[in-house]
Amino acid sequence: MNLRFAVGRLLALFRNRRLDGELEGEILAHLEMAELNAIAAGLSPEEARREARRGFGGIEQMKENHREQRSVRWVENLLRDLRYGMASLARDPGFAAVTIGLLALGIGANTAMFTIVDAVLLRPLPFPEPERMVRLWETPTPGHHNNTTTLTFLDWKRQDTIFEALSAEEPVSAAVATGADPVRLSGKLVSADYFNVFGVTARIGRTFALGEDQPGATPVVVLSYSLWQTRFGGDPDVLKRDFVLDGESHRIIGVLPAGSFDRDEARFWQPLILAPIQLNRNQHWLQVVGRLRSGVSIEQARAKMSSLRASLGAVIPQKKLGFAVDPFAQLLVGDTLRRSIYLAFGAVLLVLLIACANVANLVLAKGATRRKEMALRAALGAGRGRLIGQLLTESLVLCLLGGMAGIAVAYLLLHAAAPLVAASLPFTADLSLDLRVLGFAALAVMAVLILTGLLPSLQTSFGKLSSSLNQAARGSSASSAAVRRTIVIGEVAASVVLICGAALLFKSLAKLEQVDAGVRIDHVITMSTDLPSTAYPTPESATTFYEAVVQRLRSAPGVEQAALSLDLPLQGTRWGEWISLAGVKEALLVRVKMVDPWYFATLQIPLESGRGFEERDRAGAPPVMVINQEAARFLSSRFDMANPIGRVVGIHLPGYGPIPESPVSVQIVGVIRNERTGGLHAPEEPVAYVPLAQVPRQDVSLVVRTRSEPLAAMSGIREAVRQIDPHLPLGEVRTMEQVKERSILWEKQPTWVVGAFAGVAALMAALGLYGVLAHAVTQQRREIGIRMALGARPGDVVSHTLRNALSMVIVGLAVGLAGTFALTRVLKSLLFEVSALDPVAHALACVLMTLIGILAAWIPASRAARVDPMTVLRDEG
Amino acid sequence: MLAGNMSENKTDVPYGTLDLLILKTLDTMGPMHGYRIARRIEQVAENLLRLNQGSIYPALIRLEEQGWIRTQWGVSETKRKVKFYSLTRAGAKQLNVEVANWERATALVARFLEAES
Repeated sequence: MNLRFAVGRLLALFRNRRLDGELEGEILAHLEMAELNAIAAGLSPEEARREARRGFGGIEQMKENHREQRSVRWVENLLRDLRYGMASLARDPGFAAVTIGLLALGIGANTAMFTIVDAVLLRPLPFPEPERMVRLWETPTPGHHNNTTTLTFLDWKRQDTIFEALSAEEPVSAAVATGADPVRLSGKLVSADYFNVFGVTARIGRTFALGEDQPGATPVVVLSYSLWQTRFGGDPDVLKRDFVLDGESHRIIGVLPAGSFDRDEARFWQPLILAPIQLNRNQHWLQVVGRLRSGVSIEQARAKMSSLRASLGAVIPQKKLGFAVDPFAQLLVGDTLRRSIYLAFGAVLLVLLIACANVANLVLAKGATRRKEMALRAALGAGRGRLIGQLLTESLVLCLLGGMAGIAVAYLLLHAAAPLVAASLPFTADLSLDLRVLGFAALAVMAVLILTGLLPSLQTSFGKLSSSLNQAARGSSASSAAVRRTIVIGEVAASVVLICGAALLFKSLAKLEQVDAGVRIDHVITMSTDLPSTAYPTPESATTFYEAVVQRLRSAPGVEQAALSLDLPLQGTRWGEWISLAGVKEALLVRVKMVDPWYFATLQIPLESGRGFEERDRAGAPPVMVINQEAARFLSSRFDMANPIGRVVGIHLPGYGPIPESPVSVQIVGVIRNERTGGLHAPEEPVAYVPLAQVPRQDVSLVVRTRSEPLAAMSGIREAVRQIDPHLPLGEVRTMEQVKERSILWEKQPTWVVGAFAGVAALMAALGLYGVLAHAVTQQRREIGIRMALGARPGDVVSHTLRNALSMVIVGLAVGLAGTFALTRVLKSLLFEVSALDPVAHALACVLMTLIGILAAWIPASRAARVDPMTVLRDEG
Repeated sequence: MLAGNMSENKTDVPYGTLDLLILKTLDTMGPMHGYRIARRIEQVAENLLRLNQGSIYPALIRLEEQGWIRTQWGVSETKRKVKFYSLTRAGAKQLNVEVANWERATALVARFLEAES
């Protein structure tokens, strides 16, 4: 059918009336001429008219014939097939429910997963010209990223031929009074340029103006949209109000637009005012983001930065230290997250494939029973194209319904999953069902339509239809059965891949959970505080608070022991410093933790040698240090320091508040057993502990060991802290178990996602296997009956069906195992102390799949065994 | 068909050949209106053919939609406005195709008949 023809027919739909009129005229003219001719031949006018009409044939019949021909037949056919498809689904609601359910599950899970893939990996960052956004680092050694110092940052900022905007950022938290208990809000201190880096303007009011980050400026604050909504009820006059942070009043100058910044941890932004005392090159504390000038490439920026580094040789003595410029987007998504997302997406695609296979299988099974109908229609003149068209239309009905249900499923899944995964995703990731996602769902429906519709259509229509009138009456068609078996084998293979992947990930997770954290996990609760500079301006005020709060906590009901420390186990240690030895050129990089005298006892970290901290290790007393075994090992292997106790080492330690680091000589007084500082999967690292009383910090955590359920002791703990400082909020209240849980979140989430998909896949494969076997048993009833009549026992029949099932499962296992080897490369990096070729996991997957196969085969097998030969033979004989 | 009609020994237009007959007629006779086409076919068939004259109109419309014939308004012998049909270039090509098809089909049938006898 050429285009012109098709267009002509379509147009004909709209000019039917005119065409009818024209035809009418032609008929009249025809009849007149025929009459004239007949009269000329000698007939009477009366007879001539009759003769003309007779010669013309049935007028109405002809008009009808013409109308039918000019109407757009394929549109009519489509509508008829759609109606027919709906009707045939309605006749078989079980089939409809199962197929639509399978498709909804497959399409829904894929759409939800795609939303995550799209938001995290595909979509450009939701900022104008995101490719111009960069992050800047110092690299103490190549490949190592570190924050920079104030003076270096200011040097960078002067490179304004390269950077349109450059901003430092520093996380803060502030106490905000609400009702009885004050709460802590996270915020950020940023340079005035910060929002220019992101290209974001305020929704209400303005963002920071130049100069607002200079000393002496009025304290101002910018709010996130969500904070404006929750705390200020979306008050349009919010700019006339003040916001009290840490007891200090701030003028609200603007509210950000809704979106990305609502998913950031920060709720408010304040100008980062650099104090004169911070203008040094010792304190590596600033994270830096920037926006390149338009037209400046990242390579140009890197070149400029390295020439800047070379010119600063005199003021930055560390030879190896370099400056790095990285695209902002690259740093938002880590490799682990990227791999986890790909893994989960791969898994969910397999689930969709299996769902399609199942639906195709069901349609094929249905097709087999419809061969007679098809053969009849073919015999009555329906073309092959027309039959395929009809079957495809029926599949289309299924897929559209499945797709619509799938979008609903995706919505529900995202709704349920978003809060769980939000912590693992970058703040720019917006998980919502938008047009892109719906487009993906439509694509998925098309792919599913092709996968589920085309094969069965061809299968049904290409078979020798003429022979099926006879054949279908008698039994199965061999080719259809073979196709269905192949599909089931494919399903089993895909499921094995998923089960195997899940088994490996779960084994890895189990290994990870067994790792000894080196600290007491149960009956310990932790929380963070941040002493505001207004209430705690001096190191003495902070030290007084530490002692008082621990004292009070220890007498709180249910509390056994309490301590303070900077950073908790398993969550990483912020401070890192070099330990140097007099007369030795090399230095040892260690993590530094400030802890009080009760920290080791509270977390039950045993002392290996020497002593722990005591109350006498306070400000003014000789500086002391406790190291962990790992640090001791390094000192002994690298510096030949067999017994570190009593040795004096040099280290830079920070002052209180904005006071920068200064070099100190400290004496090592003890060695403790390792605690896991960086997370369960991270290798042990050398750690140096210094007394909190000698190196006081504002942002400390409370660690409390309780006698019973730790959360039950929380009200007592809050009350104890309130008695010491009623304005001090407690943040991040977590039991040690929760802290541990969070530290393996990144391993746990993909594991459970893949595990869930594997479960669904196995279930679907079982369903497919069941379907094929049940169908085979139905079709072979006669054969089974004859065999039983000839003396086969029910046991033989059962084992025959089971053998049939096992043959499919075993081929599927072989194919699936080959597939898992292909996955090795992807999985390897996500596994902890488990080989991607782990035989136990592979064996487990095989055994599990075989058991599932036997279970699926059991019902059809036992039904086969119950076949009564007499009934069957009489029925069809 | 009723037995009475069969005695006239006329055949119906073989299925699918009406298009061929119309195209051939327009090819040899040039532009003409519906009634003339029908008469011409009957004349050439010399009463061997039973043609419902009305059936050529759907065929004409179909051929026009395919782009094989075109129409122009003209005036009939009875002074009525009627359509005159003529062959297009595509129609001339199609005629060759249909003729070739027909010859192939008849040759095939002829060969079978020879083999049978």
